[in-house]
Amino acid sequence: MKMNMDRLATDFAGIKMKTPVMGASGTFGFGIEYKDFLDLNQVGAIISKGLTPVPRAGNKGVRIAETPAGMLNCIGLENPGIDRFLTDILSQVRKEASETAFIANFSAGTVEDYGMMAAKLDVDGVDGVEVNISCPNVKEGGIVFGTDPKAAAAVTEVVKKNTSKPVIVKLSPNVTDITVMAKAVEEAGADAIALINTLTGMVIDTRSWKPLLGNITGGMSGPALRPIAVRMVWQAAQAVRIPILGLGGITCGQDAIEFLLAGASAVAVGAENFVHPDAVVQVAADIDAYLEARGLNHVSELVGKVQIG
Amino acid sequence: MLVESGSIVTNDILSDDVRCMVIQVPSIAAEAEPGQFVMVKNENGGTFLRRPFGIADVDREQGRILLIYRVAGKGTQELAGLEPTMELSVEGPLGGGFRFESDGLEAGGRTLLIGGGVGVAPMIYTARRLAELEPANKPVFLLGIRNEGELFWQDYLKDFTKEIVVTTNDGSSGIKGFAIDAMPEILSRYDIRHIKICGPTIMMEGLAKLAMKQGIECQVSLEKRMACGIGVCLGCTFEGMISGKRWKICHDGPVFPAEEVFAR
Repeated sequence: MKMNMDRLATDFAGIKMKTPVMGASGTFGFGIEYKDFLDLNQVGAIISKGLTPVPRAGNKGVRIAETPAGMLNCIGLENPGIDRFLTDILSQVRKEASETAFIANFSAGTVEDYGMMAAKLDVDGVDGVEVNISCPNVKEGGIVFGTDPKAAAAVTEVVKKNTSKPVIVKLSPNVTDITVMAKAVEEAGADAIALINTLTGMVIDTRSWKPLLGNITGGMSGPALRPIAVRMVWQAAQAVRIPILGLGGITCGQDAIEFLLAGASAVAVGAENFVHPDAVVQVAADIDAYLEARGLNHVSELVGKVQIG
Repeated sequence: MLVESGSIVTNDILSDDVRCMVIQVPSIAAEAEPGQFVMVKNENGGTFLRRPFGIADVDREQGRILLIYRVAGKGTQELAGLEPTMELSVEGPLGGGFRFESDGLEAGGRTLLIGGGVGVAPMIYTARRLAELEPANKPVFLLGIRNEGELFWQDYLKDFTKEIVVTTNDGSSGIKGFAIDAMPEILSRYDIRHIKICGPTIMMEGLAKLAMKQGIECQVSLEKRMACGIGVCLGCTFEGMISGKRWKICHDGPVFPAEEVFAR
C-alpha cells in the first residue's frame, strides 16, 4: 500500500513509529500472526498480547460473543508468560518486523510484580511498555489498580523506576471520571496514556437462562464502543499534557481521525483486526488519503483540533 | 490464506434449517484442503464478526467452494437471505486439514468417516479426497442425523463412499439412535483402520473413546466460538490431553488426534 510516510511518521512519547496506527493489545497477537495479511513494517507499532509474570491458560467455557456492532470477550489473559516471551517470541518478532516499534503490554497482581515485569522487559527489541491496569476479566489483570487513582499511581511509579522505556498506562473506562485516573498516572510519571480498554458487559442466553460467557461477564469492544471512547479521549485531553493513544471501535480512517481530533496523538485498531486482518495498514492509508485531500502536511495537524463552540 | 471477495453462485434450501451455498473464490478454491475452513462476512450485513464454516467441497476447475450451514443465529439467518451474484468476503483457507494415512489400507483395511449434524459438511470433501486417493477402497460413511428430513447428505456422499450407514434420532430412517449405536455393526463388517469425525463434541467424545479402545487411529475436527480464525483472539484454545500444550483450534487444528482431545 502506497503511503506518504513523511506525513504519517509519529513520535509517540519517544516511540518512533512510521504511522500513528498501532495494533491494539489482545487483538494483534505478537504481530507475527498477521504477516500473511499485511506488511508488518507498515504497522505503526505492534502492542503485544497482555503478558503476565507466569503463563496463564485463561478462562474456561465460552470466551467470545457477538454483540450489536461489537463483541464481548473473556479470554482471561491467556499468554505464554513473560519468560517464554523473552526467550522464544521477541526474537521472532524482531525478525519479521525489524523496522516496526514493538510495545509490550503487561499486567500483574501486585505492585512488586509490576516492577519485576517492567525490569524484565527493559531489553533491546522492546521500544516501549503498555501497563495494563484495566483488564476486566481476571483479578490479576490489574483492574483493581485501574479503578483506584492511588493504586494506579503506585503501579505507574514502580514501572517507571524499573524501566528506561517509555511507559504508556492503559486506562479502564469502567470508572466514574476518566480524568481523575488520567491525572493520577500523569503525576506518577507516565509518559503517555492509552484509552479505552473494554467496557464490562454481559449477555444472557434466553433459551438456557444462563450467561453466554463462561466468565459471566466480559470486555466489550468494537464500533459500538467508539462514541464513548472518543468522549473519554476528549475529556482526558483536557486534563493532561502527556500524549494519548486513542482506541475503541476504530474500523477505518474516519474513525481514527475522530480520535485524533479529540486529542489522541496516535490510535490503535482493536477488534476490527479480527474481521479485517489488514485493518491497521488500511486505517493508516485512509488517514494518509484524508491528509492529502485536506492539503495537510502532517497527521499531527489534526491532534486535538476538534472545534468546540 | 487470504481474504477474497467472492460472488455467490447458488444459495439453496436443503431442509427446514439447512442451506447450501456455492461461492466463486478461485484463489481459496485452489488451495483448500479437506478439513480446512473459511471465515465469512457479508460486508453489507448487520453482524460484526466473521463466521467460521468448514469447507464442504471444492471445485478447483470452476474455482468454487461449497458451504453447507445450519441457520442457527443472526449471522446464518442473514447469510440465508443472500442471493446469487451478491458478494461475500471470504477469508481462508484456514487451519490445517485432515491427515491422510494409508497404513493398513493396502491389506483391505478401510477408513470410516463419521459426520454428525451439520458437521457432515467438511466430511464430503474429505470423502472425495479419500475416493480419489484410493478409488478401489472408498471410505465407509456413518451419517448421524436427526431425522429423514436430513437424508440430503447422502446425495453429496454417495459417489465417494463404499457404503453410507444412517442413524436417526427418531428412527425415521436407518438405525434408531446415535451414531455410536451403529459402531458394533460397522466394526464387525469392515476392517476399520482409520476414523475421521466431525460433529457435536458429545458425539465425537463417545466415538473417539471407542476408537482409542479398539486401537484405531482417529482424528476429530473441533469447533468453538472464535473471533479471528487465525490464532490471535484466543477464543478457541484448549489444553492438549497428552502434550499439555495450549492449542488454538483455528490455527493448530481444527483437526486433532483424538487422544489429544479426549481422555481415554
